[in-house]
Amino acid sequence: MSGGKKTDSTETAAKKKFTRRDFLVTGGTVVAVDALIATTPAAAVAASPAPPPEKVQAYPASKGYLVYDSKKCIGCTTCMLSCSLTHYGVQSLSLARIQIIQDSFGKFPTDLEMAPCRQCKYPPCVQSCPVQACFVDEANGNVRRIDTDKCIGCKTCLKMCPQQPHRTVWNHEIKKSTKCDLCLETPYWNEKGGIGGKQACVESCPMKAIKFVSEMPDQKETDGYNVNLRNEHWLKLGLVDDSRIVPPGSRSMGGGAPKAKMQAPKAKA
Amino acid sequence: MPGGYTGKILRVNLTTKQVSTIPTEKYVEFGGGHGIGSAVFFDLVGDQLPFDAFDPRNLIIMMASPFSGTFMPGSGRCEVQGLGPMLYPIEWFGHSNFGGRFTAQMKFAGWDGIVVEGASDSPVYIDVINDQVKIEDATNGVWGMDTWDAQQEISRRAVPGLKQGEWAELAQNCFTTQIPAVVACGPAGERKSRLGALLHGPGSQAALCGFGGVFGSKNLKAISFLGTGSVPIADPKAFMDARLWFRQFQWDVDNPRDAEIFEGGGYSLINGAPSGGNVTNGGPNRVPARAAACASCPRGCKMRLATGDSNEAVCAGTMVANVGGGGMFAAFGRKPDPNAMPTALSQKLTRQANDLMHRYGLGHWQVMATRGYIEALVREGVIGKGKQIDFELPPAGSFAYHETMFRTIALREGPLGALAAEGAARMAEKLGRYQKDVSSGMLRLTYYGTQEHYDSATQVEWGYGSILGERDLMLHQMANYPLHWMAQSGNPYLDAEQASKLYAEAMVPYEDDRYLVDYGEGPTGIYSDSKVKQVAWVKHYEKFWIGAGGFCGWRWPQCITNNTADRRGATPHAEPRFWNAVTGQNKTFADYMELGHKIFTLDRAIWALQGRTRDMEVFPDYVYDQESRGSVQPMVVDGKWTYATGQGRKLDRAKVEDWKTRFYKFEGYNPATGIATRETLEKMGMKKVADTLEKRGKLG
Ligand code: SF4
Repeated sequence: MSGGKKTDSTETAAKKKFTRRDFLVTGGTVVAVDALIATTPAAAVAASPAPPPEKVQAYPASKGYLVYDSKKCIGCTTCMLSCSLTHYGVQSLSLARIQIIQDSFGKFPTDLEMAPCRQCKYPPCVQSCPVQACFVDEANGNVRRIDTDKCIGCKTCLKMCPQQPHRTVWNHEIKKSTKCDLCLETPYWNEKGGIGGKQACVESCPMKAIKFVSEMPDQKETDGYNVNLRNEHWLKLGLVDDSRIVPPGSRSMGGGAPKAKMQAPKAKA
Repeated sequence: MPGGYTGKILRVNLTTKQVSTIPTEKYVEFGGGHGIGSAVFFDLVGDQLPFDAFDPRNLIIMMASPFSGTFMPGSGRCEVQGLGPMLYPIEWFGHSNFGGRFTAQMKFAGWDGIVVEGASDSPVYIDVINDQVKIEDATNGVWGMDTWDAQQEISRRAVPGLKQGEWAELAQNCFTTQIPAVVACGPAGERKSRLGALLHGPGSQAALCGFGGVFGSKNLKAISFLGTGSVPIADPKAFMDARLWFRQFQWDVDNPRDAEIFEGGGYSLINGAPSGGNVTNGGPNRVPARAAACASCPRGCKMRLATGDSNEAVCAGTMVANVGGGGMFAAFGRKPDPNAMPTALSQKLTRQANDLMHRYGLGHWQVMATRGYIEALVREGVIGKGKQIDFELPPAGSFAYHETMFRTIALREGPLGALAAEGAARMAEKLGRYQKDVSSGMLRLTYYGTQEHYDSATQVEWGYGSILGERDLMLHQMANYPLHWMAQSGNPYLDAEQASKLYAEAMVPYEDDRYLVDYGEGPTGIYSDSKVKQVAWVKHYEKFWIGAGGFCGWRWPQCITNNTADRRGATPHAEPRFWNAVTGQNKTFADYMELGHKIFTLDRAIWALQGRTRDMEVFPDYVYDQESRGSVQPMVVDGKWTYATGQGRKLDRAKVEDWKTRFYKFEGYNPATGIATRETLEKMGMKKVADTLEKRGKLG
C-alpha cells in the first residue's frame, strides 16, 4: 500500500477526524486540498502556484535549503540515522525526515533516490494544514516546520506533499506528522542547528553528498536540488558518467608507479 | 536493558512450526552477535554434541549486535553460526558473516537475532515484519528460484503494494520507504551442497561454512526482515559526537589527505576511498557506477553498475569467475594479452559469470578451491572424457566453462557434480587422495577444509589464528591490508619501525610489547611470546569487536591509517567510545577484549565437545616441508626493522608446537589439550561450561 497520497480510506479517515469547527475555520483550505489531490505530484507542483497572490506573500522564502547529489550517495543511511538520533534520541529509518530509497538489484543511477524536504517556495504542507500546525517559522529563517503539539494527526500534509515519496514524515510513535526543520530542534545534539547552524545529515554524510545552501534552488523539477557535488577527486575514482576523462589505470591496483614519495611521518613517542 | 538491544531474540522451530522468543537480557554479558550466538548454541544443543550439520538439531543462529541498525561505522554485518558442513574433518561449530542491511532491518523489526531449529517437512521461508512472524509456504514458486529471484519475489510477497520511491504502510499505521532485507540460499543450498552460500542482495554472501546447505537441509529457502521501529541509544549526544569525531579517520572524498600519494594506484583497495572492491570495473572500459555501502559504512567499497551486472560484488568473486583473462588484469593495471578476448568483453562476461555464481548460491571462496582442484585433476588425467570421472569441461576461461562448472556443482549434475558439491576436502577424501594432495600442497586446504589465503609461514597471525579457530581467519584489516598491502604498494607510508610502533600502541592491553608485528624468524618474531600476544589479540578482537559487534573485517581494527596526520588509527579509542555511548556501559577497550577472550574460550569448549584435540591444530605438511612463497611484512632482521618477504623460509614444526604450548598457557588452557581449565572457565563466569566439559571428560 502506498503512503496514502491517493488512498481514499486514509483520506476519509483524515476528514473524519476534523470537527465541524475545523471545517468552518479551515474549510477553504480543505477544498483546495481536494483539488490538488486529483493531480499528479509533478503536475501539482507546476500547477500549484494556483494559490492566490496574497497567499504566496504569506510564505516568505526559507533562508536555507538542502541540495544533494544522488550519484555521489553510497546508500549508507547515516544521514537518516543522524536525523532520527538528533531529533528523537533513537536510531530509526522510519522516523528520519530525509529518506534514502534504494534497491541493490537496480541499475545506477536509478537504483537510489534521495528524498530530503525541499523547503518549498509554495509549501503545500503549510498551505493545507487545517490547524496551522505546519507553519513558516519567521523567527527562524522561515523554515517550514510542524508544531507537533498542534498537529491533530490528520495526515493532510502527507497527502499534499507533491513529492514522491512525501517529505512530510509520519511519526507512528506519537501519531503526528513531522518534517525536516533543518535541525532547528535537535534536543539530542550538542550543536546548534537551523539556519546559521549545522544540519545532522550534512555533517555526518561520509560522501559529502548533502549540502546546505541559502539560495533557493529551481523549484520546477528535481534538478535544482539534485546537483553535482563531486569534484576532481571523485572523478579519480572512475565511477560516474564522465569517468572517461580519468587517465586509464589511475585506479588500478599495483600497476602504476607511485606518484610521489612519502615523507616519513612524525609518529609521536 | 542496556541501550542498543531490542530485548528479544526470535526462536523458530521448523519441525513444530512453533515461534517463541528468548529474552536478550539472559545473554547480554556476551555482548551481541557472535558472543550471544555461541552462548545460545551452547545452551540449546551443547550437551547433545556431536551431531551432523545436516541433523535437524543443528541451529542457524543469526545475531545482530547493539550496533546493528545504528550509524556505528562499518558495523553492518550479520554473524551466522551453526555447525558448518563445509568444515573438515569435523563439521565444526562455525561462523560466517555477510554485509548489507539485514541486521539493521532485523533490529528495526524489534529483534536482536533469530535462532532456527528443526527442519520443515516441506519448503518454507520465514517472513518477519515487525512483531509479525510468518512461516510461509515456499513450494509455490519460491523454492527452486535462484537467490536473486527468490529475494525479489519474497519482497513482493511480503509487502504486496510496495512501490519503489513511495512510502509503504505496514501494520499498525507504520510507514517505511525501505524494502525487505532477505537472505536466501540458492539451488546449491537447496541440494545440500557444502559449497552452498547465503546471499543477501546481489553480492553479499556468507559462504565459508556452507550454511546455504544447512538452509537446504531444513527446507528453509530464506529469511526476510522489515521493520519500522527504532534502536534505543543510551547516550544519544555522546553517540552523535563520537560519529562526527570519527570523520577524521575516514577518506575525505572532497579533499583526501595526501591525495598525490594515496589516490588510486597501489592504495586503491586499502586507502578507505569509495568503491575499489569490484575489480572488473576499471580501466578505460569502466561502466558508470555508484560506490555502494552496507548499512552505516562510511566507505562503500562495492559498486552498483549502470549495466546492473556484478552489483555489490567484490574482488574474490570476480577473480573466480574470470572470463577471458583480460578483464581483471586491466582493472589491476596490467597489460592484457594481445591474443586474449577484448578487455571490455572479458570484463562484461566476468561480471556476468560472477552473477551466475551468486544466483546459484555458491560461495566464491570455496568454489575457487574446488575449481582449482578440478583443474588439477584434469591435468592429472583423473577427470576428462573417458577418464575415471567422465566429464569434459569447455575450454578453461570461457564463459561456458564457468557456466558448466557452476551448474554442475550447484545442481549436483553427474558424477563430477555429486563429488564437487561435497567441497574439495570431501571430494579428495572420496577419491582416496586427501592425505596425499593436501600434504603435497596440490590442494591447499590449510585450515579445516578452507583454502590457504595468505602465506602461512610469513603472515603467521593469519595462519595461527586460523588453525586455532575453525576456518580461514578472513580478517584483512588486522595486519594484512594495513601492513602487507601497504608494503606491497611499493611506497609504504610508514617504515617498518614506525608501523610496528603505532601497531603496538593500538594493541591494548599488550601496548608495552614493541614486537607484536615482528614477522621475522628472530627471537621477537614468529615463534616468540610477542606473537603469542598478537595472536591472542587477534582472536579476542575477532570474537568481540568483529563477532559480537558486527564489525566488518575490511574496516576494523584500524591500528594505522593514511587518513590522519600522524597515521594513528581509530583503534583502541573508537570501539569503547561507541559501545559505551550506545549501551550505557562504561568499560574499557581491555575489558571488552577480555570478553572476546571469554567468547573464544566458549567456542573452543564447543569444539572440544565436537572432538577437537591439540594435535588437530596443525598445518598440512607442505607448510612445514616446502619453502614458502613469502609475503611482505614488517620484520626485525639482524636487529633492524625492515619490510621483507620471508620467501624461502619453512615453518619449523617443533617451534610451532612450542609456541602453541605457550599460547595455550597464556590463554588459561591446558597445554596438553588446548582446552580451558576449570579455573579459567570459572574465572570467566562459565562454571556451567566447565561442568559440561567435565561430564564429557573434555575439561582441560
Ligand atoms: S549519509 Fe550520505 S552517502 Fe550515506 S545515505 Fe545519506 S546521503 Fe547517502
